[in-house]
Amino acid sequence: MGFEIKRFQGDVDEELICPICSGVLEDPLQAPACEHAFCRACITEWISRQPTCPVDRQAVTASQLRPVPRILRNLLSRLCTSCDNAPHGCNAVLKLDSLASHLVECEYNPKRPMPCEAGCGLVIPKDELAEHNCVRELRALIATHQGKLNDYEQELAEQRLVINEHKRELALLKEFMRAMRLSNPSMRALADQMEREEVVRWANSLARARVTRWGGMISTPDDVLQMMIKRSLSESGCPPHIIDDLMENCHERRWPPGLSSLETRQNNRRLYEKYVCKRVPGKQAVLVLHCDNTHVDEHMMVEPGLVMIFAHGIE
Amino acid sequence: MANIAAKRIKREFKEVMKSEEVAGGTIKLELVNDSWTELQGEIAGPPDTPYEGGTFLLEIKVPETYPFNPPKIRFMTKIWHPNVSSVTGAICLDILKDQWAAALTLRTVLLSIQALLSAAEPNDPQDAVVAKQYREDIQLFNLTARHWTNAYAGGPTVIWEFNQKVQVLQDMGVDEDQARVALSTFDWGLERATEHLFS
Ligand SMILES: [Zn+2]
Ligand SMILES: [Zn+2]
Ligand SMILES: [Zn+2]
Ligand SMILES: [Zn+2]
Repeated sequence: MGFEIKRFQGDVDEELICPICSGVLEDPLQAPACEHAFCRACITEWISRQPTCPVDRQAVTASQLRPVPRILRNLLSRLCTSCDNAPHGCNAVLKLDSLASHLVECEYNPKRPMPCEAGCGLVIPKDELAEHNCVRELRALIATHQGKLNDYEQELAEQRLVINEHKRELALLKEFMRAMRLSNPSMRALADQMEREEVVRWANSLARARVTRWGGMISTPDDVLQMMIKRSLSESGCPPHIIDDLMENCHERRWPPGLSSLETRQNNRRLYEKYVCKRVPGKQAVLVLHCDNTHVDEHMMVEPGLVMIFAHGIE
Repeated sequence: MANIAAKRIKREFKEVMKSEEVAGGTIKLELVNDSWTELQGEIAGPPDTPYEGGTFLLEIKVPETYPFNPPKIRFMTKIWHPNVSSVTGAICLDILKDQWAAALTLRTVLLSIQALLSAAEPNDPQDAVVAKQYREDIQLFNLTARHWTNAYAGGPTVIWEFNQKVQVLQDMGVDEDQARVALSTFDWGLERATEHLFS
């Protein structure tokens, strides 16, 4: 939609007037054959109703519209116009091509965003500043936020219900899988394979650990210490089917021959460096998983892996 | 009213006011309300036509979507013309329908309607009865149109025979307009018009 013709100084050439809105051409396009020019918005609207030139009714489609020649654009850009905010007191007279940049910073724009200086910190249109009341605005803001918060809480409660539902279904499925696995050997092989892969995935998710002082090993941890380690393993995503076996293997009574006594441990000390150790998150303990340590001698390894607890010296 | 429609109508109103046709008295345009949605046009019957000497009022309604849709225009003055309904004043003119183009203005539309009075299009009729008479008895059509121009549009030519026949029916208690329509429809045969009115 073109510019109000009254805003321009002097006479405007008929050629610069849009035949549709009768304003001065804004962002003009022209029809290909007859070269009649129109505002982009005006001709787009017209063609959406009827694919013809609005002046001579020659067939024209939207894709055939072309930019107007440079000479016409130059004539347009040189026209002098008043500011959109002239009714609000702006006396600026501008070339049409600098109008857009002026409007961005025009001080007389009644909708110019202004920060409230009374302290609420909100940014509001200039013409609303006089009526602005910090307390009222902030209260309104609190009310909207409260509303959103309530919505979120409700959504959260609903999500919890859904999750519990899923958990129940999952337990049921697991139970079903277990039964299938017991009754069908090929299913059992498949399930074993999946379990092994689960262990590898978990192992890969854990950070490598370095033991700086092998001498700090606690080979007979008490129940309290074992419980702490077990909780940490569980939180790190340890597959449930190996967690109990792993925890059994945190005590020297279940360790392989090469580790089972102080004496064998002394003899095999140099083999410790071969171990690929994984961190038990947040604890002075490492996991030596079988899947990470297939290169280690049998007398130094057990399935599904070892848990070694230390007094200190884990990095 | 949409800004663009009001802007256009204001400009077109001025254009008509400054035009030579207004200066020459062949067309006129007046505002009916302040919102620029309704105007009243006036066209003079063109010379050398049965409408000569008559003044015809037009109702002009500007839709919200103007100029993307045409103005709605009808004759308020009764007229006998193949492309105008003798009952409602509705006009059959292509530029007021699917040949509307957004660059047309009130001035060009008024001039087109005036031109329609000079050159009827009986093959694209709005009023089938009038069109039939036009095709079958152009002389009777011309007389009838001239009579209507005299009766409704202040035209100068009085056709005594027609006036008398209308008066006969009026004396029988028939409304004047109804009497004229019936007589015009039955080619001024008093008997058939009477039969039609009282059957
Ligand atoms: Zn064109
Ligand atoms: Zn335009
Ligand atoms: Zn300004
Ligand atoms: Zn404030």
